[in-house]
This record gives sequence, structure tokens and C-alpha cells, in this order.
Amino acid sequence: MNELLKPGQDIRTNSGTMCRVDKFLGGGGQGEVYRATWSGQPYALKWYFAQTATPKQFQALQALVDKGSPSPQFLWPMELCSRGGAPGYGYLIRLREPRYKGIVDLMVRRAEPTFRALASAGLQLADCYLQLHARGLCYCDISYGNVFFDPQTGDVLICDNDNVIVNGQTPEIAGTLGFMAPEIVTGSALPSIETDKYSLAVLLFLMFTLNHPLEGKKESAFKALDVPAKKVLYGAEAVFIFDPKDDSNRPDRHHAVVNNFWPIYPQFLRDLFIKAFTAGLKDAKHGRVTENEWKTAMTRLRDSIVYCPRCTAENFYDADAIKTSGGKELPCWSCKGAMALPFRIRIARTVTMLNHDTKLFPHHIDEQKLFDFSKPAAEVSRHPKDPSQWGLKNLTGEKWTMTVMDGAMKDIEPGRSVPLAPGVKINFGKTVGEIAY
Amino acid sequence: MSSKRPGGEMAKRPLHFIWLVDCSGSMQGDKIQSVNFGIREAITPMRDAANENPTAQLLVRAITFASGAQWIISQPTDINSFTWTEVAADGVTDMGQALEMVAQVLKMEVMGDRALPPVLALISDGIPTDNFGAGLKKLMAEPWGKKAVRVAIAIGQDADHEPLQKFIGNSEIKPIQVDNPQALVRSIKWLSTTAVKAVSMPVSQVKGKPDSSSNVPMPAPPQLGPSSASDPW
Repeated sequence: MNELLKPGQDIRTNSGTMCRVDKFLGGGGQGEVYRATWSGQPYALKWYFAQTATPKQFQALQALVDKGSPSPQFLWPMELCSRGGAPGYGYLIRLREPRYKGIVDLMVRRAEPTFRALASAGLQLADCYLQLHARGLCYCDISYGNVFFDPQTGDVLICDNDNVIVNGQTPEIAGTLGFMAPEIVTGSALPSIETDKYSLAVLLFLMFTLNHPLEGKKESAFKALDVPAKKVLYGAEAVFIFDPKDDSNRPDRHHAVVNNFWPIYPQFLRDLFIKAFTAGLKDAKHGRVTENEWKTAMTRLRDSIVYCPRCTAENFYDADAIKTSGGKELPCWSCKGAMALPFRIRIARTVTMLNHDTKLFPHHIDEQKLFDFSKPAAEVSRHPKDPSQWGLKNLTGEKWTMTVMDGAMKDIEPGRSVPLAPGVKINFGKTVGEIAY
Repeated sequence: MSSKRPGGEMAKRPLHFIWLVDCSGSMQGDKIQSVNFGIREAITPMRDAANENPTAQLLVRAITFASGAQWIISQPTDINSFTWTEVAADGVTDMGQALEMVAQVLKMEVMGDRALPPVLALISDGIPTDNFGAGLKKLMAEPWGKKAVRVAIAIGQDADHEPLQKFIGNSEIKPIQVDNPQALVRSIKWLSTTAVKAVSMPVSQVKGKPDSSSNVPMPAPPQLGPSSASDPW
């Protein structure tokens, strides 16, 4: 039904500029999307069907345009357009670059990111919704249909922002079944920042395990998975597949994929998912995992990555698991060979594995700069003359000092490296780190 | 660094989609040509809709009815390899028999115990000439028939809405009336993709509306093309 607008048609934007319709891109439940040229640049133009182009929606869009995007990752309504006289209206947004793939592509393995890229995507997603929520806004319909990511870098894009409301307002939509918080499914609540947090947890679980957190035996018990069945599964009788106190919904053979992923993640990440889908299922106010908790976990997950010396697969350093197994590192999940841990650095309470490609950021060395990953502050490097000698190179403009076991101190000027050896302490200025092996 | 992650894919459920196409004599000419064209046009958007949902595997079949009924695509065919073979029109309107044959393939032992609600999409321009009621009864006696999302397109002024409405079995969903080729093509595309989306991923339920009596709520169709003035059917 690519008929709302015609290629070549000129549309007046509400600030008086003109844009030209280039071609039909796709249709959805609310309207159609076209490629359009505006100020000489290609954009996407979403145009509403007559029956969805309500005055209320127009006001909501105007408010979003006025507020502006919470962060660059949102494909945010930039400018409203109407033809004048004719029914309907639309808005202009940035086009999605081809490097971004759908979360759906991740689910069906058309996109294969590294664990590092996946954790980066999780970190960015949590940060995006944090930025949105911090402005008092609520997304209402987080699902894998409206998030895109770059499998190479983990950069994310958030689309379909036209349902965003000021938290507390009455939303037009209740969300997508499977992502909706149980209290919305059962009809006792409307979308809010608290329910967004639940949907974010579902999205992250899906991205990391390729399985829905509530789909185990209970899902298989339904022959036809229709809406009434989904309301039971995601609402009234929701049980986490790995609920430590309730094994009624464990993954069965249909959900075997989750068992390939779940055990290889460190305990701290599994604990956070357990919290999200046990306390978080029941207690919307206090039980949900916050965006900052996810950000911390995703950062820590990235810092935990180690490469198998035999097959190079990314594994995760799990201090908790090593403790419970009496100091033994678990074998590689992929080749089952013994893992050898690289040097690592403990700064304050965090431990970062020093792989051949590890970079430290202001986040790691300055407690005032949490989650600042803008520019590397240090990187693992090889001694130019002795390749067997590894070091941590100072990429900052400030001098560091290092202290070795016997107490001798040495300055590390910008551009120089601290040799990696157990017990070496580095004073980064704001924090002190200690190398371990 | 190599992107090595454990194997496996998300669990999928089959989504059976069955076209039921009226090939009676009155469909001859541009009506059947538009149906052929429309179903072909619908393949890509149906594929896109299916690909948006990682948990659904869209499998398509087709049955035609005229004097008797006949499976023209009897095997559930993945939408990614589905092609449409042109059908021709001749004969009466044995709609009831088509429903009975569809009921056969929706039997529990054939469908298995893990699927999404099937979609049955009926296209007709006339009045059933056989025992429509008996066919419908058999279809609705099957649990998967009852669970199915049943949608219909009525072509031209002679199309009888009553059996189509009975087939749909839900007063909230009406047969889509089309009176010209453009509207028919657009309706086929809209109805098939919307039904696939409604079944595989019930999106963005409108709040405040009373719960639909249907087990898979379908949105109302938009204006599907020019009406009145140039209506040839």
C-alpha cells in the first residue's frame, strides 16, 4: 500500500523547509516509511495512516521534536511535516546506516558479534535508556524490533521513538507481549520507567542467551502459542527459567540453546539476570535491575574477557567460580582445553584482564570518570626490542609512577610503558593499580 | 578477534499460512489475474514480516476451489522458498469442500503439539454452491481450526459476506470488500502481512481497549485504495 506519498512529491516541513519523497521503504502498523531528501541529505520520512494520525499523536511528536534526542543513538523525530489540507502528517529522522543490524539478526545468527561487541552493545543500550529515563521519559515498547546494533563495534541505534511519553502520562500503547512487564500483561499497570527496566532486562537476556527468560518447559506445554497463552506465560504465571527456588520452568529440549550460553558467563552476570527475573518479576518498584547496574555489569564483563591460548575463543574470568572450584580456572567453553590467565590489573575493586589487545580508559583509572570510554588511557604493548616482554603503555598526558616489589619507584612518562610483572603497582594519579599474574 | 560464540538458535514455532482461493467461473479474467498478481506481490512483505520474528517459521500452502477443491501447494513451504504458480478460473464455488480439506491438514496428529496459531486467508467473489456449513463445521471441530486466525477478502458486489463472516467467526473482524484490481492487490498484501505479524509477534497492543474476544487480535484495515468512482467490479 505504498500510496500515501508518491516519489518526487514535495512535502513542506513545519518549520517551512521542503523535503522531497524519494522512495517507499516499508510499511508498519501505524504508517509507512519513505526515503526523502531534506537540505540535500537523505533522511527517513515516516508518514502516518489517516486513522493513526491523531491530533494527540501530533502533539506528542511535537513535544519530542522540541525536547530533542537524549543521545546520538536515538533515531529521534527531527522535524514534523504535513502536506496542508491533505490528511495525515509525518516526521523526519536520520536514516539507519547499513552497518547496523537488527537484534533479530543476532537471534537467528545472521549477525555474529564478539562477546566484547555484545557487551559493548549491552552497555550502550543500558546507557541510552538511562539517558532517556533521566529526562523523565519512558520508551513504552522496548523490544528486539526497535533496536539495531553494529556487530563489529557494539554501537546501537534505537528506532521507533514516536511512542515515547513523559513518565506518568497515559501511553497509547502497552508494549509487545514477551517484553511487557508482568504487571502490564495482567492489566494492573501501564508502561512506565519501571516497566521499561523490565523490558531492557528481557532484551539483554535474549541478546546474551538467544532464549527468552520465561520460555522453558511452560512454553512448550502450550500447543498453540496464542495471545491467551502468552498472557499466562509472561504475566500471571511468569517464572524465570533459572529461578534458583523454582524449577518448574527449566529449559527443555526446545530451549537447549540457552544451556550453551548461560554457564559460560561469570557468576556476577548470572546473579544480575536472576535478580531481574525473580525479584524483578514481582517487585516493580524495588526489585528491578537499574540501568547503572547493567552498565557496571557490562563493563565488568568486557574487563573479564580472556582468550583461550589454544583456540582463541573469548572466555570470561570468573573470580567467584575460581574460588568455588578451589582456585582452579575452568576449561575453555569452546575447545575444553585448559585456560591460562594473562596478567591482570586490580584497580580499586575492579579487575581487568591484560590481554594483548586490552585498553584501559579514564573509566578504569579515575573514579570521577566512571563510564568514560571516550579515549584510551593505557594499552597493553610489546617491548619494541624484546617481544617476550609485555608492558602497559601510558597513553595519557600525565606522568605515572610505578613501584616494584622491593619498593623502588620509577616515573612512567607519557608514551612509556610499565613492564608487566606480578606485584608491580602503578599510581595513575587518582588511583593505584596492582598487576597480578 | 574471531567472533566465536556457542552454537544454537532460538526455538522456533511453525506458523502455517494457507491461502484459500476461489477459482470459480465468475473469477475469470482480471479478478483471477489480480489474485495471481497480488499473492505474488505479497511474498516479499510476508517474508519480511516473518524475518522480523526469530521465533516463527512461516510455512505457506494454497488450496483452490471451483467445481471441487484442490491443493495447488500441498506441502508446507518455507516463505523463503515459496513461489506462486498462476491459477485459472472455471466452475462453481465449492468453498465448503475446501474448508473440509483444510480441516484435514489441521488435525492434531498432523500439526504436532508446537505451533503458532495458523492463518487461513480466504478470497472469494461469490456464493458457496456446496454445503459450506458442513465444511465450516469440520474445520471448527479441529482445535487448530478454532485457534486459527481466519481472514477473508470479498471481491466485487456479488460476493456474499455472510459465509465469509461465518468463516471469520469473529464479529470484530469483517471481510475486506474490494471493488477494483488495485484494492484487491493491496488487500492481499495488507491482510497476509498483518496476519503474519499479528500471530508471530503481537505488537504494541493498544491500551484502554477492552480485551479482544479473539485469541489473536487483528488491527483494522486502512483505506485500501480508490473506491466508488472507478469501481469495475
